[in-house]
Amino acid sequence: MINLVFYFQVHQPYRIRNFSVLDIGKGKDFFDDELNGEVMRKVANKCYLPTNKLMLELIDKFEGRFRVSYSITGTAIEQFRKYCPEVLYSFRDLAKTNCVEFIGETYYHSLSFLYDKDEFLDQVKMHRDTIKKEFGFSPITFRNTELIYQDTLSDYIWEEEGYKVILTEGVDRILDWRSPLYSYKDKNKNMMMLLKFYSLSDDIAFRFSNKGWVEYPLTVDKFVKWIRDLNLIEKGKKNLYLNLFMDYETFGEHQWEETGIFEFMRALPGKALRSQQIDFAWPSDVLQKTNYQPESISFPEPVSWADMERDLSAWRENDMQYNALETFYEILPKIKAAGDPALIEMARKLSTSDHYYYMSTKYFQDGDVHKYFSPYGAPETGYRNFMNAITDLEERI
Amino acid sequence: MRVLMFTWEFPPLISGGLGTACYGIVKGLLKKGVEVDLVLPTKEEVYFPMRKESDVDDLPIKFISPQKEIEFNNTVFTTSTEKYQYVGISSVPESYISVKEIKSFYDYFKVFVERSEYKTKVPFQEVLNNIMGSENIFEKVKEFTLRAQRYAQTLDYDLIHAHDWLTYPAGIVAKTVSGKKLVCHIHATEFDRAGGAGDIRIHNIEYSGMTEADSVIAVSRYTAEMVISRYLIDTAKISVVHNAHNIDIKESEHKKRLFKDPVVLFLGRITLQKGPDYFLEAARIILKKYPKVRFVMAGAGDMEKKIVHKSAKYRLKNRFLFTGFLNGSHVAEMFENSDIYVLSSVSEPFGIAPLEAMSYSLATIISKQSGVAEVIQNAIKVDFWDVKLLAHHIIELIEKPEYRKKLGLAGRHEVELIKWDKACDEIIQVYKKTMKRQLS
Repeated sequence: MINLVFYFQVHQPYRIRNFSVLDIGKGKDFFDDELNGEVMRKVANKCYLPTNKLMLELIDKFEGRFRVSYSITGTAIEQFRKYCPEVLYSFRDLAKTNCVEFIGETYYHSLSFLYDKDEFLDQVKMHRDTIKKEFGFSPITFRNTELIYQDTLSDYIWEEEGYKVILTEGVDRILDWRSPLYSYKDKNKNMMMLLKFYSLSDDIAFRFSNKGWVEYPLTVDKFVKWIRDLNLIEKGKKNLYLNLFMDYETFGEHQWEETGIFEFMRALPGKALRSQQIDFAWPSDVLQKTNYQPESISFPEPVSWADMERDLSAWRENDMQYNALETFYEILPKIKAAGDPALIEMARKLSTSDHYYYMSTKYFQDGDVHKYFSPYGAPETGYRNFMNAITDLEERI
Repeated sequence: MRVLMFTWEFPPLISGGLGTACYGIVKGLLKKGVEVDLVLPTKEEVYFPMRKESDVDDLPIKFISPQKEIEFNNTVFTTSTEKYQYVGISSVPESYISVKEIKSFYDYFKVFVERSEYKTKVPFQEVLNNIMGSENIFEKVKEFTLRAQRYAQTLDYDLIHAHDWLTYPAGIVAKTVSGKKLVCHIHATEFDRAGGAGDIRIHNIEYSGMTEADSVIAVSRYTAEMVISRYLIDTAKISVVHNAHNIDIKESEHKKRLFKDPVVLFLGRITLQKGPDYFLEAARIILKKYPKVRFVMAGAGDMEKKIVHKSAKYRLKNRFLFTGFLNGSHVAEMFENSDIYVLSSVSEPFGIAPLEAMSYSLATIISKQSGVAEVIQNAIKVDFWDVKLLAHHIIELIEKPEYRKKLGLAGRHEVELIKWDKACDEIIQVYKKTMKRQLS
């Protein structure tokens, strides 16, 4: 049996406005309220609301056999509440079906794991509390920001109550000859692991509307056939997991409605379930369904799901990114020590990984995804605004 | 007396010191009864008839075409920005003539080259040969030059005054068609901007302009020497008129503070000429010893990215910050909130920014390779390349707040005396001398 494990990432950062040196120390808000509201309302109408509606329909139709999971960041939840509460209500409706699993992560979608263990665990706890409060769900599956993972992450998370499953990228250089379709255990064998099957995930998330792609257009029949072909490799009775992990914004935002992405998703469960070998599963199902002894797998170096490199280079490659991160994690403890909750909250919003992603110069010239996601004309502008914002907080201590 | 003045910058159309200087000059001239018809790179064919002192801020607009003048007068504008947009003058110069017109440029110029009465007088061929190029700036200079003849024939004036190479071709055309004398004002040469030999076309246009000019005004002895040694211009027609400023600031009781720690300021275009990299290197030395200083690089320019990356590479954390482009009121605010000003220019014909900094009582350090060093005493002077010495002086000013304050106040008193009034008297003397030459 092959289990389709859909996990959708739902995230919106607090984008920083053009913030000059002259704005420092004046108690001004450096987040771009107008832009953040505009983006949230746009994405809500194009993606969150119609896709949630579709998921509800599908869950209803297949009476529990269609299962999906979500990781919704704290900054996204806050902004739903602020700019578009109906999105939050529709996620609550999904939660009420009991056919949705919520996944834990850092509240601020941050890179704190790489710099500050205490801060990382604080943010994990904050997120856990929020998911419990908003959706009545205590996560047992964890995924770190952008699927960033290395061995120590499992050790950190293991110390936290309740987490039993962890998700990350199925990186070729780690997997080597192994298949991402199996479940694995982390290096110290404490957690169960699921690895993203990136080619089929990205066929939906990135290539779906690419007319230059040889497989265009991607039909449900074609996709289900590919899945069945995968299953043929494993003739035994082992439970396999096809982990389709992607941004939720794939639906309607990265892939517009006109591309047919909604029709694709609407037809997929029926076609898939018609085959006797395909089922849907939550990440946490792996704990019951795994009918073999999972192998332990080690990630000595950090990996992620970003860019071709699948490493940290989207957020930490050039000098601006290093300097910004080092400055932030030098100042954050000082702000926490001073104890002003409002300042701590603002600082933590600056821990969101997107700020460092905007500073990437990797593909900027090619007008690649970094540019698509960036609210700034140039990486240097993002850097300047960020550095001025963190300096403002430092001056306010 | 009335002057036909060509310039590339004038507030609000401004990117650097040229606009600030022209503003001061025109205002000073008006105060002394000299009228100015100002021509700028506007989209529409307009000029700015300056008759009284307040006109430098009001910018009265007149169209060359009477038809357009009527249309303009019948249009209602709610803000002055709207009005400037109508005539095509914004904070950023933009292209303002159709491509078709540019194509006819060579035909137009050929007429001048071939007409015998002009042939011997003017180095048109030189200009024509060197104004070639499809870069944006050359296209704009061509457009500007194309119009010069109409302005020269339509307006009524006694003398032509052109600022920097961008307007020299226009000055030459105007002189030719009107027979009036030409004063070329040199605010910066291509050697300054490029930090050595620069674009040969620009050098040649500068040479043509100064050769054809009846008088050349240099903004400092530093610049005059360059004009003589590099362009071999007749010393008899060169005058030095140092730049000045018009800033009037009331001494405030309390220094404004953006930061708890002292602020060391670089303010200007972030280009090779201004030596931003030397400022950065000094900051690097200082921050190793004194992490409690803020360095602010204010302005924009083609070296900005490079400096941003380098400051990050040096891991100067958030002790080295950038403002991006600043407008006039932000410039003032930046001065108010700083303690030490550094002019690190590699080659600065004059340098008005240090005068501004000093009038805000900032302790000021200036590059010896600048014209401003000739006129002020109460500033520390260093060679731009000597970053260790620059760092040493900044540290001394940080360590001794009393000394810093004393230097700042002395500087402030000194620059109070350097006003455009006096400089404009000198410019008028140049005008008179030049016109007299015409009579004799």
